Amino acid sequence: MAKSAKKLVLITEKLLLKKIAQIIDEAGATGYTVLETGGKGSRNVRSSGQPSVSDTESNIKFEVLTENRDMAEKIADRVAVEFFSDYAGIAYICDAEVLYAHTFCGPDGC
Amino acid sequence: MDFLSDFLAKFGAQLQSPTLGFLIGGIVIAALGSELAIPDAIYKFIVFMLLIKVGLTGGMAIRNASLGEMLLPALFAMVTGIVIVLITRYTLAKLPGIKVVDAVATGGLFGAVSGSTMVAGITVLEGQGIEYEAWAGALYPFMDIPALVTAIVIASIYTSKQKRDKYLKNEKYIGKEDYLGMQPVAAGGAPIDQPVPTGGYPTNDLRSSAGGYSGESGGSTGGYASGSGGIPSSRVKIWPIVKESIQGSALSALLLGLALGILTRPESVYESFYDPLFRGLLSILMLIMGMEAWARVNELRQVAQWYALYAFVAPFLHGFIAFGLGMIAHYATGFSPGGVALLAVIAASSSDISGPPTLRAGIPSANPSAYIGASTAIGTPVAIALCIPLFVGFAQALTGG
Repeated sequence: MAKSAKKLVLITEKLLLKKIAQIIDEAGATGYTVLETGGKGSRNVRSSGQPSVSDTESNIKFEVLTENRDMAEKIADRVAVEFFSDYAGIAYICDAEVLYAHTFCGPDGC
Repeated sequence: MDFLSDFLAKFGAQLQSPTLGFLIGGIVIAALGSELAIPDAIYKFIVFMLLIKVGLTGGMAIRNASLGEMLLPALFAMVTGIVIVLITRYTLAKLPGIKVVDAVATGGLFGAVSGSTMVAGITVLEGQGIEYEAWAGALYPFMDIPALVTAIVIASIYTSKQKRDKYLKNEKYIGKEDYLGMQPVAAGGAPIDQPVPTGGYPTNDLRSSAGGYSGESGGSTGGYASGSGGIPSSRVKIWPIVKESIQGSALSALLLGLALGILTRPESVYESFYDPLFRGLLSILMLIMGMEAWARVNELRQVAQWYALYAFVAPFLHGFIAFGLGMIAHYATGFSPGGVALLAVIAASSSDISGPPTLRAGIPSANPSAYIGASTAIGTPVAIALCIPLFVGFAQALTGG
């Protein structure tokens, strides 16, 4: 049985990795996935693959599964208010159906 | 006249050094649109190798040197780092069209030290057979950390003062308009319950209001208040900045090398591995710096032209300040001319590895295109191509005369 959930995606600067991870933890999410990423947005092309002298050009993408919309919005709001006026960033929510996850669904499966 | 012609001849010879050749080569192939890319991991490894070698050399030298000799140059390095930021605060920041936070961040970056420039300077000194104190490389943190701390403290004082002014202005409006009263909540650092609707929406909204904050008018009030939500307390904590600088990849490698040089006997690996690879790795690093410089020129074009002028003049000015202070140490405690030149090179350099992330985190409202563009596109090439030959030439002229 698939368990319905919300997937919150945050794409922002690598510099904020630890700070955003802390916010997600404090909000009570059971875990998150981080990917190195790049692309084009309002702050032009970032992480285009050239060697970068410092990490200020690198981007990361957080994916967080939450049981309800409230928690996802709480994380997104806090991140947006604290960081998105000064740092590159975007946040969106998708619907997800979790098929298997140890902590998220419990040991008996979804 | 002898002094001058001698100096010019040596200056010309420096321009043909492999260090500079690879730097210019990097700029040229990047300008021609070459697909050549050197992986990030290799770049990081080279920086580690070079700085640990400098650390080891310094550590082994400190073992045999008296610490008293280091005191005056270390003090002068700290003074230079702080003075550079203050100069920027009262020159660049006062120019028309320049945001104060951007200028202060630029000053911090130019006051901070570039490992690659310092290493290039050491190579040139060694290539010319000029004597210098091997521990001079250990002066790096003494200039780097005070510059970054000063810049972040000045920027924080400035932004919190502005925040207070805006807040007082807001207070007057509260009676008339209810919604403006919401904004100081974000400035006060209680961001969680701020009434921002859904996940997708705040991104665009805050971005556009952040753009508005550069304006001085009351209309941008909301943008500024939410922009400062990232720094809840108005007081700056200095220790986290110092800690972050030390934990950065460049300083970690340098300090590890120093410790290993002092405490252990690394001579065998030093002679067989670190020392022989040093120059070859430096040439690759210079190639990367050249390519990076070209890539950042476009970014620099988007900010005020004053940054380009500043980035060109500043390395010379900073180098001369340090050279002057170094000469005092030369006459007072016998600091060698090579050491004086290296101190000047360290001052002329602008940080490219550890400085930018520290400043980005410490002064979030500053525009990184301004300070990183100024430093990487112009400051570093000028320091490597012009300041190193200049100050090494001065040192040679001093020893020769």
